[in-house]
Amino acid sequence: MQIDLRKPELVMKLDRLGSFHQSKLSFLRSFIREFKSWEFTTEKFALDKQGFGHIVYVVNNGQKQYSLICFSNHIEDSERSDRVIATKWDASFVLFDGVPTEEDIERLNDNVPLQEQGRVSEKELCLSRANKSVRVFEHVVDKLSKGEQPNTKLLYDVGYLYRTTAVYGSGKFGLADRIKIQNREELKGPFRLEMMLVYLARQFTFDVVNHVAYSRSPNKAVKLKGDIARNLGIGNSTGLGMAPFIVNHPALLNQWIIAKEKALKAIRSISSVSQKDKDILQSYLSIIRENIKFWKTESDFQKKKNNQLLKDLSIFQKFYSSFPLNKFFWNSIYEWTEANTQSECCEFIISLMMEVYPDIVEPLSFEMSINEDEYFDIDTSRTIKEVCQLIEDQYTWLLDINFDDKENILNFWYYSKNKQEPRMSDRFTEEGSDLELPLAIARDVSALYDDLKSCNLEKDLGYYLLKNQEYRHILRRVLICEKLPYSEIQDNTTSKTLIPVDMIRLKLSFFGATRFDPRSDRWVRITMYQGAPLMREISKSDDTWSYKKIA
Amino acid sequence: MHSLYEIETTIKRSSRAEGLSWGVSEEAGKAVRLLEQSEFQGLESFRRLIDLGLNNLNKLLDVDQSNTRNLCPIHFGIFFLDQSHNKELHRTYNFKNINEPLLIVPFLSKSAKKNLLYFHLKSPDLNFTISPGGIYFINENFFPKNLTDFSLTISTNRKSKYTQSSWDYLYKLSLDTFVEETEEKKISGAGAGLTDND
Repeated sequence: MQIDLRKPELVMKLDRLGSFHQSKLSFLRSFIREFKSWEFTTEKFALDKQGFGHIVYVVNNGQKQYSLICFSNHIEDSERSDRVIATKWDASFVLFDGVPTEEDIERLNDNVPLQEQGRVSEKELCLSRANKSVRVFEHVVDKLSKGEQPNTKLLYDVGYLYRTTAVYGSGKFGLADRIKIQNREELKGPFRLEMMLVYLARQFTFDVVNHVAYSRSPNKAVKLKGDIARNLGIGNSTGLGMAPFIVNHPALLNQWIIAKEKALKAIRSISSVSQKDKDILQSYLSIIRENIKFWKTESDFQKKKNNQLLKDLSIFQKFYSSFPLNKFFWNSIYEWTEANTQSECCEFIISLMMEVYPDIVEPLSFEMSINEDEYFDIDTSRTIKEVCQLIEDQYTWLLDINFDDKENILNFWYYSKNKQEPRMSDRFTEEGSDLELPLAIARDVSALYDDLKSCNLEKDLGYYLLKNQEYRHILRRVLICEKLPYSEIQDNTTSKTLIPVDMIRLKLSFFGATRFDPRSDRWVRITMYQGAPLMREISKSDDTWSYKKIA
Repeated sequence: MHSLYEIETTIKRSSRAEGLSWGVSEEAGKAVRLLEQSEFQGLESFRRLIDLGLNNLNKLLDVDQSNTRNLCPIHFGIFFLDQSHNKELHRTYNFKNINEPLLIVPFLSKSAKKNLLYFHLKSPDLNFTISPGGIYFINENFFPKNLTDFSLTISTNRKSKYTQSSWDYLYKLSLDTFVEETEEKKISGAGAGLTDND
């Protein structure tokens, strides 16, 4: 039986992409797989009794070292904000290339807590900050200092002790450029450094509560139990700033999606499936249906999705239990799920199917990075006719959209002058659309197509561009999409009906986030590394930690 | 020092702010990034260009255009990047003057690699060749802020840069890696059939 990759016109719809779940391909899981043989140590512990000061963690394989320097500072409750407009944070982090000297730490102490307002150097690789979940932090410290363990219901309802609000890398604010580290073998996988930073920051959160509790009551205090700590992740609050990333990096997006699609295709193509394989999926399914109950959200949008997921999983369970192990079993499972459940459930089951076959899935994680510059140049020898055909084939979905209709061009994307972060506003009621970012892909491809059709179709793009440089950026995209078919979201990102949180969710699912909790249609709270091995036990990780029962 | 990422995005955005299209601004960002990475003063050169006013500069839109004074190096570079695949354009052109000629180097370099071309620029003040090999020793101190009465020759022909006697000497030396063939080896060594009568 010939199984094909799923078509981009099915996969690349935002409703589908916004239903993706963490999987074996998620970056934080592949990070642990690849780094579990490295040594993780606490190099320096310099916190005062209130938990302020710094800690340095080192990740070392005997030849190469990376260090996370964590700064813990006092801030007033009124200064604590998850929004990017904040200027102070409870903790700030910087990932250092090597092991920092005292001079390095002193320099970084002057700059890292300032985040965007400070400067770092090319010795540094990633930058981040986090705020305490105040009620959880205080509760945990209070209980531990009294010699008791905290209330796990409260803990697991929140899921973390601290929330990060941004993780910066690749040359921002003076950090090392990607080019400096791109040839390092251990960094070939996607977002390795960012994942390292977040993993070590999670360890910092445990070390701080244990330390503060001990300082309050040295004779009585106990440490947070490993079983409880393991079920805590690190939170993250993400707003619109992350959404344009997946539009601005079409080649990278393609690599992420195609890795997943290749995995699915390979699994659906397995002709003979054992009872053991079927049972593995069943065991994960049973656990995760319980864990979903800890996905707390106040968002009606997400509640509806979660409820639908639970309902669909229940239907799926009945089908799965009774469906016999016939030939191409997984293909039948996939086709049934696609036909009988919503995208949220279908993509969830795909993630579970991937768990059964580490040998198929895990090698694909090495294909999820790409040198984007290789796709930058426009082949100007191509004819106008060829490009028209490409648009008709690849962008069929937009050819019937009427861009004279206000609702189809309602939103425009721009950079906020204050924080240099992407934002989205109503084009017709708010100012600034003259400074619009080139993210109105559907509208611009449509305009390009109309313009090309009015030209001599036999002429080449070199000729066309002589007088039409305003279409250069969009022409580049069309040619990228020809080579990389999963590079383009097939929905109108300026439409009134756009749900930006879908764009954020897509990216976060590849990071490995869980417990999506949209706080509006423009920002979301999530948890990372919940259930992951603690630093001291990372070498024993077997990559099944995402499917351990939470409570 | 700023990272290459910061340089690229800042140039891209400032180009856009000065009225260039997003696509051209992206090219400008990459060009200045490449120059700075190669330790040329691309950013300073671009800044002087902005001071001149991008809108006041002349865009090259046709190799035969009559007015080639006050040319913009970004559009000049993009012109040859976009058009050089066309063999009809592989000849010599004369131009009156161009601002900040350093900024054309990344574009010609990219085009040279992509289309296997040689760009020979000649003027009373500056001569250089951009080749597909990508090794340049250009002294940026010799790059004037404005280049006058210059020609650009586009060619696919690589010029020989060595003497016949050097070639003969090295070729003779290379023969020392060969094994002298006996009559027997001529028969057995090639591996083909001994008769061709089939």
